[in-house]
Amino acid sequence: MKALTVAKKDFKDTRRTKTTWITGFLLLFLGSMMAYVFDGDMYLIGVRQFEQAFLDIVQIMAILIPIVAIVATYLAIAGERERGSIAFLLSLPNTRRHVFIGKLVSRSLTVGLSVLLTFLVAAAILGARKDLLPFGVSDFPTGYVLGTTALVVVYALTFVAVSLALSAAVATRSRAIAGAIGTYFALIVFYVFPLASVTDIVRWFHHDLLGMSANQDLYQFVEYTSPLIALRKGLNLVVPSRLESHPFKSERVGHETLRMAGTEQRQALLEGVDLPMYLQDEFALVVFAFWLGVPLAVGYWRFEQAELR
Amino acid sequence: MTTIQTTGLTKRFGKDVTAVKNLDLQIEDGEIFGFLGPNGAGKSTTINLLLDFIRPTDGSAEVFGLDITEHSEQIRERTGVLPEGYAVYDHLTGREHVEWAIETKGVDDDPDRVLEEVGLAEAARRTAGGYSKGMSQRLALAIALVGDPDLLILDEPSSGLDPNGIQHMRELLRERAADGTTIFFSSHILGEVEAVSDRVGIMNGGELVAVDTLEGLREGVGGLATVELECASIPDSLTPKSMDGVVNSTVKDRRLRIECDSPREKADVIEYVNSHTDVRDVVSTGTSLEELFNTYTDGGRGGPTERDSAGSGGSQ
Repeated sequence: MKALTVAKKDFKDTRRTKTTWITGFLLLFLGSMMAYVFDGDMYLIGVRQFEQAFLDIVQIMAILIPIVAIVATYLAIAGERERGSIAFLLSLPNTRRHVFIGKLVSRSLTVGLSVLLTFLVAAAILGARKDLLPFGVSDFPTGYVLGTTALVVVYALTFVAVSLALSAAVATRSRAIAGAIGTYFALIVFYVFPLASVTDIVRWFHHDLLGMSANQDLYQFVEYTSPLIALRKGLNLVVPSRLESHPFKSERVGHETLRMAGTEQRQALLEGVDLPMYLQDEFALVVFAFWLGVPLAVGYWRFEQAELR
Repeated sequence: MTTIQTTGLTKRFGKDVTAVKNLDLQIEDGEIFGFLGPNGAGKSTTINLLLDFIRPTDGSAEVFGLDITEHSEQIRERTGVLPEGYAVYDHLTGREHVEWAIETKGVDDDPDRVLEEVGLAEAARRTAGGYSKGMSQRLALAIALVGDPDLLILDEPSSGLDPNGIQHMRELLRERAADGTTIFFSSHILGEVEAVSDRVGIMNGGELVAVDTLEGLREGVGGLATVELECASIPDSLTPKSMDGVVNSTVKDRRLRIECDSPREKADVIEYVNSHTDVRDVVSTGTSLEELFNTYTDGGRGGPTERDSAGSGGSQ
């Protein structure tokens, strides 16, 4: 109950902060623009074209959403500590747990609503362009849009969780900023940066330096630990099978081989690959659960120990 | 009954800094306790320990008989706090701050009444980001007063207030104390402590160097009721030292400075001097609280004083 009071007050405060609106509008604007411009594959028609274009928007927004989530969260606790308003929060009968949970609820709500709004508006614009709206007139893929959006919201919340944990663990604004930038680099940039990605580094260390035989399972598992990769794989659970992407399987079959193959042959090649449980699509939920849970636990523990002065 | 009780309370920061050293303090129900000391003496550290913002290195403390680290939330349910170094929420109005405090404390105060009590009624609907230091301080006081707490912990309550505001706050504290509220406040301003406290504790370098009523402190130190007189001339025959109650007298230019052991002696002293020479002006009088303070804290000037009562507050 007290955590809710903290959340309510924090949400009110956040709602009146310009940064929140600027980042929120930016996200909405970009989503809407893409929905207005993207067409999807020109050989497709109607719903199929919509589904593909919408997935393209999701894939691109997936790079930007962490920034919005991090910006909305990184000062949640560290900012109050540096400014001194935390003295009010904690001299009233709130425990640090109330503060931590309240902040988590408030910032999750802010980011969640922003992402939700962006994708619903984008879906509406795209739907209108493809003559799928209004509802009932044509077969607007409601389940697909909601499923995809829900997964993206979960993805966004992992960044809220990581940022809040960092914000709770540091005492100053400058460290919070360093943490925020670090989060984006560590969880996004390092995974997709060509030649020097986390996977490349692990491969180099494991194979080239330690001289062990290459272990595709290990390298792909390392790659899977990024929320971004987890989102890409997790989307397979909600998109129609023709839109699924199989990065791990493709890598094993060989991109060149796949390119040369025909559609049916390609399908057969991919189905022929057997992935261990921890590389399958469902495991994306475990990756999300990890990023939602573990950093929060560590951040909370640090906050509970912290000396506030 | 005792509201605050600290036992050997110690707080070290890192290896070298001991902010509070072996503090034994007892504050009774309903008293106004002034916690006095220069900046960096350990006053705020003590308060932060009581509020569980920081944890003791050694020793313990209880508020309302509850351990400060185990039952902090329960303690704060019954405590109003004006914290040190706070900042208001720029985007919330004064009234919203108070509403939030009321909701958090689970009481049904009228926010407008609380704001009026601290003289912030007119600015209640403005966002606190535009408040002056004094207005923020009033708001912080309002938040502390929410829920009619049994204990008020106020860290430098008069900072940022104008003389009117200070006067108003003192009255407020006296009213609350008359209702039975225990008040524990810190200050580095002597006049403030003198004006409202029942008892005073003086902190210096992390140690409690004296605790007593103001009267008791004066008597304990002695000779701190001073009177300084400007005289036409100072005849050799004038020997106020021989008078009862006079501790010391010094002459500088035409000024005669006499230290008495209690303020009661001052009138007699002035009369005595006036009978021997022409007193042109009574330059300053008063039990110099300033000196009292300096005696206990070395005042940062004049080097150490070797009073028996100083430094007896327990050290390592």
